[in-house]
Amino acid sequence: MGEQEGPLAAAIMNIEQALEWIAEVFEESPGRIVTTTLRKEIPGWDSLGTLSLIAALDERFDIHLSEQDIEGMQGVGDLFEILRRQGALQGA
Amino acid sequence: MRFILVDRIVSLEPGLRVVATRRVPPDEEFFQDHFPGFPVVPGVLLTEMMGQAAAKALDAERRPRGKAMLAKILSASFRQWVRPGDETLLHAEITANTDSYANAECRAEVNGQGVAQAKLFFSFMPIDSFAAGFRDAVLDDFLARQAR
Repeated sequence: MGEQEGPLAAAIMNIEQALEWIAEVFEESPGRIVTTTLRKEIPGWDSLGTLSLIAALDERFDIHLSEQDIEGMQGVGDLFEILRRQGALQGA
Repeated sequence: MRFILVDRIVSLEPGLRVVATRRVPPDEEFFQDHFPGFPVVPGVLLTEMMGQAAAKALDAERRPRGKAMLAKILSASFRQWVRPGDETLLHAEITANTDSYANAECRAEVNGQGVAQAKLFFSFMPIDSFAAGFRDAVLDDFLARQAR
């Protein structure tokens, strides 16, 4: 399979970039968020944070979260799963 | 001081853009402190003016999501002083408009010169959260004039 083309190709992140991006969305210091960080451990992941995440996913990746996705996210791992499923994240 | 920071809507396309005006009266009490001998309109008020203008473009759609509420200032900069009595022209372009959030790119001008700009993020509050009979008189009056 050839390399992905189109608008999303430029937006595909590796793990490190994704962690930095998540920190930016939730207005946290870079480095404070790791792949195992839980939602309850991120002060900025409140109702406004969730809205900011919805907007950021929409604007950067054209990813539209379902109610089920939003309610089911318990941490960075779940968010990574969504990003992988949508082809926006590469790497283990 | 009341917190209605838009005097008049000049033009409005629901959900898309708005141009509005605000003139801060020279007798506003805060000018005594901001600053003594050099009164200028505070940047937070310029941001709120732009936010209120942008919210009118969103609220004019009358969507069931409710009233637009400023939730986040994504960026803001203040380039020129706005003095007591200056008429500020407020421009807002809605750049994202969904059922749960909206974004607006705004700028403020005095005498054709840019004085401030801001990127603002809005959420929505159901109308029944507000006092019964609550209405936005500036927006309602503009829409009523347009309908005539």
